[in-house]
This record gives sequence, structure tokens and C-alpha cells, in this order.
Amino acid sequence: MFRYLAKRGITYVFMIFLTTSAGYLLAVSTLKPALLEQERIPRPTPEQVVNSLSLKGLNPELNPWERYVDWLTGIVTRWDWGRSPNGAFINAEFGDRVWISTRLFLASIILTLVIGVALGVYSAARQYKFSDRAITAYSYLAYIVPAPIAYFLVQLAAININDTLGKRVFFVTGISTPGMDPGWAQFVDMVAHYAVPTIAITLVGWGSYQIAQRQYLLDNVNADFVRTARAKGLTRNQAISRHALRVSFIPVAQSIAFTIPAIFAGGFFAEKIFAWPGVGSWSIDAISQQDVNAATATLAYGSVIFAIGAILADFATTLVDPRVRVQ
Amino acid sequence: MTNLNAVDPAAVAEEAHLEGHEVVINKSTIILRRFLRNKTAVAGLIVFVALTIFSFIGGFFTEWDKSKIDPFSIGMAPSSDHFFGTSQAGIDLYAQMVEGTRVSILIGLVVGLVSVLVAAVYGCTMAYFGGKVDKVMLFFLEALIMMPALLVVAVATNGGGGGSFKQALPSWLLLTIVLLVFSWMGTARLIRSMSMSLMSRDFVKAAQFMGVPARRIVWRHLVPNIGSLLVLDITRGVTAAILAEVTFSFIGIGIKVPDVSLGVLIGGATSQVQTYPWMFWVPLGAMFLLTGSLAMMNDGLRDAFDPSSSSVGKAKKKKKSTS
Repeated sequence: MFRYLAKRGITYVFMIFLTTSAGYLLAVSTLKPALLEQERIPRPTPEQVVNSLSLKGLNPELNPWERYVDWLTGIVTRWDWGRSPNGAFINAEFGDRVWISTRLFLASIILTLVIGVALGVYSAARQYKFSDRAITAYSYLAYIVPAPIAYFLVQLAAININDTLGKRVFFVTGISTPGMDPGWAQFVDMVAHYAVPTIAITLVGWGSYQIAQRQYLLDNVNADFVRTARAKGLTRNQAISRHALRVSFIPVAQSIAFTIPAIFAGGFFAEKIFAWPGVGSWSIDAISQQDVNAATATLAYGSVIFAIGAILADFATTLVDPRVRVQ
Repeated sequence: MTNLNAVDPAAVAEEAHLEGHEVVINKSTIILRRFLRNKTAVAGLIVFVALTIFSFIGGFFTEWDKSKIDPFSIGMAPSSDHFFGTSQAGIDLYAQMVEGTRVSILIGLVVGLVSVLVAAVYGCTMAYFGGKVDKVMLFFLEALIMMPALLVVAVATNGGGGGSFKQALPSWLLLTIVLLVFSWMGTARLIRSMSMSLMSRDFVKAAQFMGVPARRIVWRHLVPNIGSLLVLDITRGVTAAILAEVTFSFIGIGIKVPDVSLGVLIGGATSQVQTYPWMFWVPLGAMFLLTGSLAMMNDGLRDAFDPSSSSVGKAKKKKKSTS
């Protein structure tokens, strides 16, 4: 088990290194912070720009390879991911934002998975009944709406609720109201801020899991081994939950690994629309501000999340599938 | 000893009889019939075709185009002069819709078709050769999955200094290329795992021992078995590409004005939902029709290509009485 983990870990570390390096080289050769500095008033001379940028380790006169070597040395020797053109330190900025993103997504991801898989099982067990049709139709609807538009519609709905009630029940943007007294009032304020983004992400997210789980379970419900279980005297529900469900969960567990990065990408839209200053919105701001180091840091973060998801998926598979042995 | 290869005249006659009376139905005919039997899927196909036709010839029904400003009707609600109303700047929404729908459909079709093709070739190659080739190709594939497409799209379409791509190509073509590069990996992985289980089946082994060349095995034995998956992934890929275009353009990193697409129209109108509602809801409705019709077809196609489908038609009485 431990050997397997170490082996996979090393592969992924190497992979993260490759993608991050490729991302850095791509970013460093396309993003030019010097051009933005030129737009300042009063307009700095080119020498001033080069000077101020090289103080932050962003000297535009070095070629990409030299900057890459500098940047990599900084990370390997001091765990220093560099600085932004405006002087902020990537490490500190990242620490704040990653906490915000995690708070925003953790609850939604868990809710999405649990609701999606549970509804998938429920609807597969009642195939072609009204409840199945209603649930599956909803999932297809969620599937054909792009995430940011769905978030936007949820936001509109929340605003409408606020308007009809005549007071502010939900906050549609931001993390918290500044200057709240700690205690009960702060807690209510936090819930009011969390409710809309969490509901929006969950509502959009569970559809694909429901469809996948229903599909795989239906493939297995009529399999021979389930019929055998029925013949041995198990009830239909017992046969489904003990025999069909385990098998049908394997591909769903596999797909979770590949959707976790997608949730974070979708979460980027959520952060943008609900104005949460997390990692996702940072990555886009980094590009519009021509910030090489920040863009690369968010890319590295995405790769790490993917690697964790892939390893978790392998574990989930071994948990539900007795035929697979981790070695 | 009986000669197994001897032709039995009775069997030949039987076969000719069957062929002559159309009792044996062509596989493609069965698929077509099953598809046509599914009313939802047919409705989806009709809507999709109608939208495609609209996007190509819709421009002939209006005198306006996407760059013409009507100074007398600025921010007007839909009327007989401007079918879908006009924007804040006085540009006819109908003309923009025709162009935007066309761009969205084109991006969807190109990305959907080509990415499935690439995925099929890549996945089958991995599964067929296995070993080192498989390891290296899988590594490359996972590295690509790791790259967040979002960042690359943003850099490619937004990169301030290195605007060389941006000037050389129109933004919709650039977006198509980037979407293509990042859309085939999931399917390729799926095809690889399916082909690998097929590769261990006896019929493939038998073909290998008989000395059938690799290319032929892939074409004759692997592709037909994963064919239904490929067809499904085409529609799914088209939907995903249309959605991705809308998503990227919605937040302003995909297609850039003056190029128009559904995403650009929807994204540009979000701040005016209260004042110019038609500018938001009309393109959104078109997008729903587009993706919705594809989703409806998807289900019908799955049924039609599923060899164990339980979808059965009504028996034709006339045929029964004659046979």
C-alpha cells in the first residue's frame, strides 16, 4: 500500500513539475507586465520600468529560460514563488485565497456528490416512474446550462426573493459584512453569505453524477449476479444495494477524480460571479494584469488538486471493488 | 468424414429467400428505425436542423447586419422592423443572433467531430500497442488533463504582449483550436480502457494469431465494438464545445467583440437584464434550444446504437401474413 502510494506520488510530482514548467514558459513568453506599467500616469521611462520590475525578480530583459531558472531556484531553495508586478508576495496572497476557495467549495462538493449519487440510485430503482423522469429531466436541464449562466440565474432569483420580502435575506456577493459583532449575528451573516453560492454550485453540479450513477446502475440491475442474489432470496432493494450498487459505483468513483479539477474551474465562475476573492478569480486577474508568477502558482495548484483527486479515486475504487488490489 | 465447406443448397436457398423478403434488416436500417421511433430524439433533430438552417439563411430576411446602427430605434423592444429588438447601441439583435448561432454551431461541430476522431485514434493506439507506448501516451494525456484549459484559453486569447496568434487568426478560430486541444482526453481514456478489455477477448486474439495486420484488427474488430460510444461522444462533444464557448465568452475571455457568438451576446447582456430583457433572454433561449436539442438526440442515439436495446417497434401485420 505504502509503496504504491509512493510510486504514484512520485509520478504525479514529476507530472506537476512538467505542467507547471510548461505553464511558466508559456506565461513568461506571452505575458508582458512592462506594457501595463507604461500606462501609468505619470508615464515611467523604460529604464524605470525595467528597474522596478527587476527589483521584484521580474526583469523583462532576461530571456524566458534565464527567468525560468531563477524562478525554479527560488522555489526549490526557499519555497518562494516570486512576486507580482504590484509587489505582493505570491506565497502570502496564495495562503489567503486558497482558504477562501476551500471554504466556498468544500460544502458544495460534498453536497453535490452525496445528492447526485443518492438521487441516481433512487431514480434507477424506480426506472420510468414519475419520480425518475422528473429527477432525470432536471439533471439534463442542469447539464445543458453553462455554469456561469446558472449561477447568474440563481443570483437573480435570490435578488427577487430579497425584493419580494422587502429586506435583505441573502447576500448575493461577498464573503462577509465587515464590522460584524462576533457571536450569533456574525454566524447569521456568514450563513446568509454562504447560502446563495453553495446552493447555486450544488444545484448545477449534482446533475451529471445523477445521470452517470443512474446509467451505470441500470446497466447492472439486470446482470446475472443480481438475478442470482434475488434467487437466493434477497429483496430487490437488498440485491441492488449489496450487489449492483458496488459495481456501478466504480466508474462514478473514477470520474470524481476528473471532475474535481472541473469543479474548481467551474468554481472560478462562481468566485467571479459571487465576488469571492479565491484562487480561481485570482488566476484570471493574474492574466489580465500580466502577472506571470501568480498565473503559474494557480496552475500548479490546479495540478496538485488533480493529483489528489486521482489518488483518491484509486482508493475509492479499491474500497468498493474487491477485485482491485492496490499494489 | 463430412466436408464442412460443402455448400448446402438448402441453406443457400433459405438465405436467398430471407434476403429477398427483407426479413434480415440492415444494421443501419435498424439503427435508423430505432432512432425515428423515439419521438423526443426526432424532435431534437428537427430543432437542431432548423437552427442550423436559420443560422445560414436567416440573414436574408432582414436588411440589418451586425455592424449597422439604426439611430431611430435604440434599445427598442422586439417589433416587426427588428424581430428581436435592438441593443443599447441600436444594433439589430436578429442579425447578431444569426451570426452568433452560426459561430456557436460551427465551433460545436468542428470541436465535437475532430476531438472524437483524435480520441479514437489515440485511445485505440494506446490499447493496441500497450506496454511502453501505452505508458508514455498515458503520461502525456494525464499531463494535458492537468493543464487547466481555462488558463490556456485566457493566455491564448488575452495575452497582451504576445498578440501574434491574436492578430493572425480570428478569435473564434483560435478558441476552436484551444478547445480542440483540451477536449479529447477524457474520451481517449475511456476508449483506451474499453479497447483494452476488447483486446483481451478471444476474437481479437484469434485474429492476431491468424496474422491479421494491426491496422485491420483495429478497424474491423475494435472500432465496430466501440462505435456506439463514438457516436454518443460526438453529440456529447458538440454540446460540451458549445457550452464551453458560451462559458468562456460569457466571462469575456473567449470570443471577442466584434466577433459575435451566443456567449458574447449573453455575456454582454447580463448587466441589462432589468432594462433590456430581450437582449438577455433571446440568446439564452437560442442556446437552450441548441444544447437541449442535442441532449434530446443523445438519448435517442444511445437507444438506437445499443445492441441490447429494449426499444421494439410494432410488428408489421402485412409482412407477418405473407411469411
